[in-house]
Amino acid sequence: MAVALAWRRASPRIATLRAARPDDPERGGPITERAARELVEVVGQRKLFQRLMPGMMHAAIFWGFVVLLPTIAEAAVAVVDRGAHLPLIGDSTWFAWLVDLFAVAVLAGVIIAISIRKVQRPDRFRGSHLEEADRILLMITAIVISLLLWQATRIALGLTDAEGPVSGWIAGFLDGASTGALEAAERVLVWAHLLLVLAFLVYLPGSKHLHIVTAAPNVWLRKSGPGGRLEPLRIDLEASEEDLRLGAAVATDLTRKQTLDLFSCTECGRCQDVCPAWATGKPLSPKLLVMDLRDHVAGTAGPVGEVELQPLVPNAVTDEVVWDCVTCGACVRECPVDIEHVDTIVDLRRNLVMAESRFPSEAGALLRGVEGPGENPWGQPASARMDWADGLDVRVLAPGDAAPDVLFWVGCAGAFDERAREATRSTVRLLQAAGVDVAVLGQRESCTGDPARRMGHEFLFQTLAERNVSTLNDAGVTTIVASCAHCFNTLANEYPDYGGTYEVVHHSEFLARLVREGGLHPSRDSVAVTYHDACYLGRHNGNYDSPRDVLRATTDEIAEMPRNRERSFCCGAGGARFWMEEGGDARINDTRYAEAASTGADVVATACPFCLVMLDDASGAAGRGPEVADVATLLARSALRDG
Amino acid sequence: MWIWADVSPEGVASSALELLTKARAIGKDVGAVALGPGASGAVDQLGEHGAARVYTSDDQRFAEPTSRVAAHTLGALVAEHSTGVVLFPSSYRGRDVAGRLQAITGSTLMANAVDLPSIDRARAEILGGTTIVEVDLAGPAPHLVLMRPRSFEPEAVGGTADVVPVDVVEPPGGAAVVQVLERTEAASDGPTLEGAKVVLAGGRGLGGPDGFRLLQELGDAIGDTAIGASRAAVDAGWVPYAMQIGQTGSTVKPEVYIAAGISGALQHAVGMKGSRRIVAITKDPEAPILQLADLGVVGDLFQVLPALTEEVRRRTGR
Repeated sequence: MAVALAWRRASPRIATLRAARPDDPERGGPITERAARELVEVVGQRKLFQRLMPGMMHAAIFWGFVVLLPTIAEAAVAVVDRGAHLPLIGDSTWFAWLVDLFAVAVLAGVIIAISIRKVQRPDRFRGSHLEEADRILLMITAIVISLLLWQATRIALGLTDAEGPVSGWIAGFLDGASTGALEAAERVLVWAHLLLVLAFLVYLPGSKHLHIVTAAPNVWLRKSGPGGRLEPLRIDLEASEEDLRLGAAVATDLTRKQTLDLFSCTECGRCQDVCPAWATGKPLSPKLLVMDLRDHVAGTAGPVGEVELQPLVPNAVTDEVVWDCVTCGACVRECPVDIEHVDTIVDLRRNLVMAESRFPSEAGALLRGVEGPGENPWGQPASARMDWADGLDVRVLAPGDAAPDVLFWVGCAGAFDERAREATRSTVRLLQAAGVDVAVLGQRESCTGDPARRMGHEFLFQTLAERNVSTLNDAGVTTIVASCAHCFNTLANEYPDYGGTYEVVHHSEFLARLVREGGLHPSRDSVAVTYHDACYLGRHNGNYDSPRDVLRATTDEIAEMPRNRERSFCCGAGGARFWMEEGGDARINDTRYAEAASTGADVVATACPFCLVMLDDASGAAGRGPEVADVATLLARSALRDG
Repeated sequence: MWIWADVSPEGVASSALELLTKARAIGKDVGAVALGPGASGAVDQLGEHGAARVYTSDDQRFAEPTSRVAAHTLGALVAEHSTGVVLFPSSYRGRDVAGRLQAITGSTLMANAVDLPSIDRARAEILGGTTIVEVDLAGPAPHLVLMRPRSFEPEAVGGTADVVPVDVVEPPGGAAVVQVLERTEAASDGPTLEGAKVVLAGGRGLGGPDGFRLLQELGDAIGDTAIGASRAAVDAGWVPYAMQIGQTGSTVKPEVYIAAGISGALQHAVGMKGSRRIVAITKDPEAPILQLADLGVVGDLFQVLPALTEEVRRRTGR
């Protein structure tokens, strides 16, 4: 009956999952990779241990429950026949010890959990259902205590020879009790224990604790490979209207994984804790976004197919929430159950932009610029694309020319922005000084499409990607060096989906390699430098060391910011936010610049033109503080003595 | 050859006078179409600028947010008169009417033209203004051409126009498919940023809201100016976002643009580089704005601005 009730409570969620769109079956990667992920993230609790105390708390409860699972079967058997035992483990001392030890571990976990929630009260719980968590902790405590007491009565009655340390100790207190009283107590406790477990089962499907069922499959289905790659949404203009999918408008437009994400959330708020938008007073919190979507798709909306579906935006989440995201991926990296917030947000944007043309009005100039003749976000004329090279001897690859060893992808920021141009010039001068055969595409280069894609204009991205791939393939390009983290991510991870597979190297990596192999000879000085990790180089692509290697070749003093490497805090430019106005209490770039300045460094080094401009703007607003410069600029200063 | 005149109770738009000046230079028998409240009041001015006839109606239905009624009425008119060419301004109304008319008549529409060398040729700038192309106006008549604003200088010739009253042609499905629930207008005094002949813009170099007072004084001395700002000044909270010029703010193309204490970052430059004359006052000799400027003043703007204001006052007497 409990199972039937639980099933009933689960059925709206199951129906929602059934109605969701299927995912790309390949997205999780090979079976071995998925299995390894389960081992590390579920069994090993890796992401939970990113925070030590909460991690220990959770691991104690999780491992405890895994070990205690067979005792449910034992209790179910004992309800019918009090003397019966499970084979192998039922009457064995080693298992009794194990049960007792892990039961204590669970209780210790519960105590830590309560102290975190009631004493420490971290801000990440703001907006979470705290009473629900209390109820669950209470049930866990009751289940474990009833288990221990039941075991104790069995020992006292001689129903089992297997005696664990705790249950045996409790049984010692029962020595004087009459057999009749003990027998009655044993019956009450076994029933109480089993009913509590069954009640928990019934409670589970509608609660945030459902993650004990959904977390493992959610980890199994998580996207394999670099986090920076968005999955293509092919747009075929010839397709019929029913087949034309333009992102996620209503609940049934979400994929199974996106829906399972919503049912896996435990409201732990680790994502909220690291979100740059939330930290600077915007309404977006990845946790609240997931909770609001979950409540919308499974709760108020009713069973799928029986009610008219309401648009997710603005009914579940507001437009502002959708546009606040910088796609930095801090939330995704933090999430213990592998929820992929960014992919869902981009899917919501896709619908707003492509189906409804609804986006912050100031971002219109970005789309017009990328779509326009200059094919860059600022709408600059294509003829100005090589202005940065004035005074340098740079080979521009003409159609039909032999392919260079290295094609330097300048990027629009590197080509048009005054401050970013300095990094572009430094990179080219360094490559030339090291004797690298390098060329650029000149006016044949256009925006990679990254800002359009992150803004949700998948069709514009697709158009640019197809054309750039055809230009690069026709030119016979094999190796590309990019100094923009966004161009790098798009070229390396997203162009393969459009037929363009190259060896794409970020300029920091290429420069680090040149220094290591003796192609460049920088001299070190003692300028204190701190490095700001670019999200699309670091977190999304796992490269934290190359820019630091370059810096180490130029200075003895590298100071790290409190938030660095995989926990770096975004500059505020990602997700096309660079071309939007920012609301909230504080600006993300000012917040990050203040953090950089707090290290006492003289220079804030960046490895992406957008980080450079954002932090330099913040430096201007602050009026004083460290200089902001690209790693290539700093390397050029120390390795190219002629200027 | 006809032109579409944007009219309102406040008067006729200067774009209509610009188009008439061009139309009478290359075509004979120039007609103007003025529909909506204020139309009959525009007849004299249209005549002075070369319209031989003005097709006019003051009917309120032409002022609806969508131009369905105007497009269907104009469609009936051009069919009746076998009009060969209709010029439209690239305004909101002009584009809406021209687009709908093209769909109704299945004729030919040329958008974003900057000149009309002859009655069957249009000139346009493409590739970010780097390439000029000439386009033959072929295809089914009437040829509809949307002209960019301020492509021609309006010039009066002092004629009078015959008035031809126009009957409203109701589009299929009735007139009002769009219902206006509410109308809000941005309050402003003085010319808008987009419409001002002279724009004065301040940046971080102004040091605070007080610095903008110096700009305002200069603006009062010059007259017919609007005050703008760079994103840095807006982000600092010195002036409201409505004043922002640049990528994520307004785009301006005034006769004269004076930038005070603005470095000229790309974000700002894209919003003002189309200005006819650019004056930059900055203390930084390396500032990118100096590369865009026709006249660059490197110096302390707290000295330069008051001195400039004084000189302008002396010459204008304001």
